[in-house]
Amino acid sequence: MTEFDTDRGSLNAGLAIAGLLAGSVLLLAAGRAPANGHRNGRAAALPPRRSSRKRPTVVAARRLNRAAGVLAASVLADSSVEHYRGSFKNKAMYTPLIVSASTLATSLHGTADARPAAHWFRDATYLTAAVSGLIGTGFHIYNVGKKVGGFSWQNFFYGAPIGAPMAILLSGLLGFCSERVRESRKGTRPEIFQLPAGRTMAAVIGAGLLGTSGEAGLLHFRGAFHNPFMLLPVTLPPLGAALLGRAALAGPGQQHRATRWWMRVLAAMGFAGVGLHAYGVSRNMGGWRNWSQNILNGPPLPAPPSFAGLALAGLAALELMEDHPDA
Amino acid sequence: MHDRGRPEPRYPGYDVLTKRQGPSWNEQTRRVVSQRLAVPAEPRFFTPDEFRTVASVAARIVPQPDGRPPVPVAALIDEKLFRGASDGYRPEGMPREREAWRQGLQALDAEAKAAYGAAFHAIGAARQDGLLARMQSGDMTSPAWGRMSPQDFFKRRMARDVVLAYYAHPTAWSEIGWGGPASPRGYVRLDFDERDPWEAAEAGSGDAVEVRRINRHVG
Amino acid sequence: MSDNPQHTPRARRGRAPDVFRPGGWVPMREYGEDETVDFAIVGTGAGGGTLACKLAEYGFSVVAFDAGPYFRPLEDFASDESEQTKLYWTDDRIVDGANPLQLGSNNSGKAVGGSTVHFAMVSLRFRPEWFKSRSLLGYGADWPLDWREMWNYYREVEQALKIAGPVNYPWGPPRPRYPYRAHPLNAAARVLAKGCEALGIGWTETPLATLSAPRGLAHPCVYRGFCVAGCSTNAKQSALVTWIPRALAAGAEIRDLAMVGRVEVDAAGRATGVHFHRDGTWHFQRARHVVVAGYAIETPRLLLNSTNGQFPDGLANSSGLVGENLMAQSNQAVWGLMDQEIRSYKGPPSLAITEHWNYEDKGKDFFGGYSYMSQGPLPQLWANTQMAARGLWGARLMSDMQNYNHVAGLKIVGEMLPQENNRVTLADEVDQFGLRIPRVTYSWCDNDKRLIAHALKFMTQALEEADARDIWTQEDDTCHLNGTARMGSDPARSVVNADCRSWDIPNLWICDGSVFPTVGGANPSLTIQAIACRTADRIRDLAGRGELDQPARRRYAAQTAQ
Repeated sequence: MTEFDTDRGSLNAGLAIAGLLAGSVLLLAAGRAPANGHRNGRAAALPPRRSSRKRPTVVAARRLNRAAGVLAASVLADSSVEHYRGSFKNKAMYTPLIVSASTLATSLHGTADARPAAHWFRDATYLTAAVSGLIGTGFHIYNVGKKVGGFSWQNFFYGAPIGAPMAILLSGLLGFCSERVRESRKGTRPEIFQLPAGRTMAAVIGAGLLGTSGEAGLLHFRGAFHNPFMLLPVTLPPLGAALLGRAALAGPGQQHRATRWWMRVLAAMGFAGVGLHAYGVSRNMGGWRNWSQNILNGPPLPAPPSFAGLALAGLAALELMEDHPDA
Repeated sequence: MHDRGRPEPRYPGYDVLTKRQGPSWNEQTRRVVSQRLAVPAEPRFFTPDEFRTVASVAARIVPQPDGRPPVPVAALIDEKLFRGASDGYRPEGMPREREAWRQGLQALDAEAKAAYGAAFHAIGAARQDGLLARMQSGDMTSPAWGRMSPQDFFKRRMARDVVLAYYAHPTAWSEIGWGGPASPRGYVRLDFDERDPWEAAEAGSGDAVEVRRINRHVG
Repeated sequence: MSDNPQHTPRARRGRAPDVFRPGGWVPMREYGEDETVDFAIVGTGAGGGTLACKLAEYGFSVVAFDAGPYFRPLEDFASDESEQTKLYWTDDRIVDGANPLQLGSNNSGKAVGGSTVHFAMVSLRFRPEWFKSRSLLGYGADWPLDWREMWNYYREVEQALKIAGPVNYPWGPPRPRYPYRAHPLNAAARVLAKGCEALGIGWTETPLATLSAPRGLAHPCVYRGFCVAGCSTNAKQSALVTWIPRALAAGAEIRDLAMVGRVEVDAAGRATGVHFHRDGTWHFQRARHVVVAGYAIETPRLLLNSTNGQFPDGLANSSGLVGENLMAQSNQAVWGLMDQEIRSYKGPPSLAITEHWNYEDKGKDFFGGYSYMSQGPLPQLWANTQMAARGLWGARLMSDMQNYNHVAGLKIVGEMLPQENNRVTLADEVDQFGLRIPRVTYSWCDNDKRLIAHALKFMTQALEEADARDIWTQEDDTCHLNGTARMGSDPARSVVNADCRSWDIPNLWICDGSVFPTVGGANPSLTIQAIACRTADRIRDLAGRGELDQPARRRYAAQTAQ
């Protein structure tokens, strides 16, 4: 007996999850050296690198690329699973897969790239991602509204998730910002649309954390917060957002130790969330043996790392502010 | 009630038994359905004459297409009566399941002989249909009915048992495109025009070759 | 098979089946037959199972009997309609009257957990006015209960069963949020919603006793659609997986495959225990109190079968009302075909509901109300409906069955009025235990017929508005049974008082749907469980004040004398 159709689905889901994992590993590996090596003071103890590698704006840009990549990987996996669940009824449902996959590839490129110049192709991809995130949000709102019952709890719970496409928008935005930071001239304040880059990003990332937390809150409310761990993504990230907000408003020369520390907690939570969701899948009837149902009906494995993506971006923004107190 | 020719199947190539070893079936379901598929062909409750009548009744109530092994409706009813299964209630005047069947079959034959001079199984399909329609509307008066109403016997015993037996069989499940047994795995896609990969695709819902391919591979 | 729960009792030797683990066991306290327990409870369904749990948790010694097997759903339930008829009460019964009832499936259960093991999980509160339908609405009889008190007990049951319901319920006074969120709607439910929106009436997700998220060892619903054939997922919050495990943990004993045939009453007019059949012989269990919770047919049957010299007309029957005022609920449907694929076999059968006609009194030419819900019949049920209700057989039946995946239907749960002529009596024939079998007599009254006509007309419109075609009506069906031992505040016109205690025999209680004076247009299980919770609280309070042995009738006399 063959299980072709089911297998195709599992292939999608499996590939998506494998992609998520591989993407995260690659991103971490690609960004490893600068991420560990940079830090003022400690950097001096390490062997010397090419100057561009040490240039804080490039380091920040690469970190931001990495963060955008984690987000893109999460979107790739999540939209693959969810749109497979939706049977790709509309051809447009392939869009987030293509866009997030190219965003992921672009972010890998950007993470590895140590040159202090923006790349037109990265810019184009990131902007495409941002725009498609906006369009996707519109689509999802339209789809919820047209279901019988309209904008009701039922359709917010089980219809197209309104907040999901925002993740690819955020990924694109982070990428786009990274290019602006990267290309800023030595000795000048890194800027995004003439605003200080670090603070602008901190604000954007804080808003992203709030939105993502809202979506987790909606879905965890759907699950009646039956497990106390389900409270984490609705409590920790808003706090992180508040800390980032404070950092964005703060004057130059501040350390933001607590904020940085909190971003690490959020990143850990994002990755640990995959494990908790995997446990959630096992709690459903048939457990992992019934994966062809439970991956779809259980908690979404790829969703939590979006918190990690945002938290990594937050770290990058904070460190940029440290290197460029006026940024 | 006219027999249509051989219409194209609504769910071409779909056999719910394809899913038998997959996650939609659990052990207890496999056991129950296997027992049903292995129902003895020979009656253990009915006499051979009665059994022949039951088979001819079933052939009129749930006429089956050629070209596939028929669902053994009479044998399934025999098994149920042999086992002594009961609905748990009966109208005033109707005996319990086993006696009701015996008495009803006798009465049916008596009616057939009175109308056409032959036992029910020996008259043509159209005449059989006519007799069954009369029974359904209560238009029968043979003393062989005793206190049992022909209408009640049709609706609450005979046709009921025939229909339940037929639709207890995987062949019938496949015919109507039902998903079949579903545990531990149930369903994910519940809305209009949504189909899980482990459900049958309907003819016309896509390219004919594709529909057949999907249905052969539900799992 | 060595362990066939239908042939050999499982709950014995200090252990009972663990319903959450295949082959598993949990410890169970056991009582000797000569040991006089505080409560012998006959039946373990919505009434008896709930009461057994609560009383045991309050520290009383409890033995609860069930005539049926003790299943472990995960290993004993197949995905098969025929096989799962093993959950039904299929002992012999006779039906008559102008509209003989159909029994054996949607209104009976024979298993530990009773019919909650295969109920459709619809968990509705009654409309507050129904508790005073005579005074406020002009029909039926008043309950001796106050809706505000019931509102608190509903809350308790909804929490205990983790009911999955809508965030906001559109009808009636405010209620607390349901503990779990509503399930996703299937296409059949959306057809109901479309019809309601087109006709401008409210609808919502049905509050269901099936999990929409994990709970303890119970898995959430997988939308397999076999709900009324028994839930092999344990998502369904039946008494078997909720109250009974709690009861065991609190020290109650459950006796499965134990058919109670007679309640013994001594010369002083007090119940002394129950005779039950188990392992092929009759036994006697001593008890200080006996609770009958066998549902609307077996409860009066047991009381009527327990006659003695002192009570020649049956126990608790000085009013002559035991067995009378049987109320079914009308269960008519409208069916149609949709162009889209519906596949209503997926998900719980009744995911969407409108209680509009329960709460709206204008525009009715009848007393009472009805709700209607979306439907999801499995093939055998659907085929038999086509045959029995629509009269189809032969080629017509076969070709119509081809449309199975396109069918959508709306079905009511309608209020039927209490009538003394609708009743349970004893037939002369006897069952496998030598006990006289019940005869169930039922005829619709004009009000019942007007309600049904109203509902069918309205639902036909609703299906038309939802773009269904080939619409037809199913006119002959009923569901839930209630009445037959009604509660009241006057011993001459009721069988038990508000505490479910018999007026005649102070230590005999009745705790199931039998005590309903009226039925309303809502499924009764939540109300049965709420009444059981209240009864348990009352018993605890009475015992605390040392009034548990004081006859209900004396207190009634004291009240009326004031």
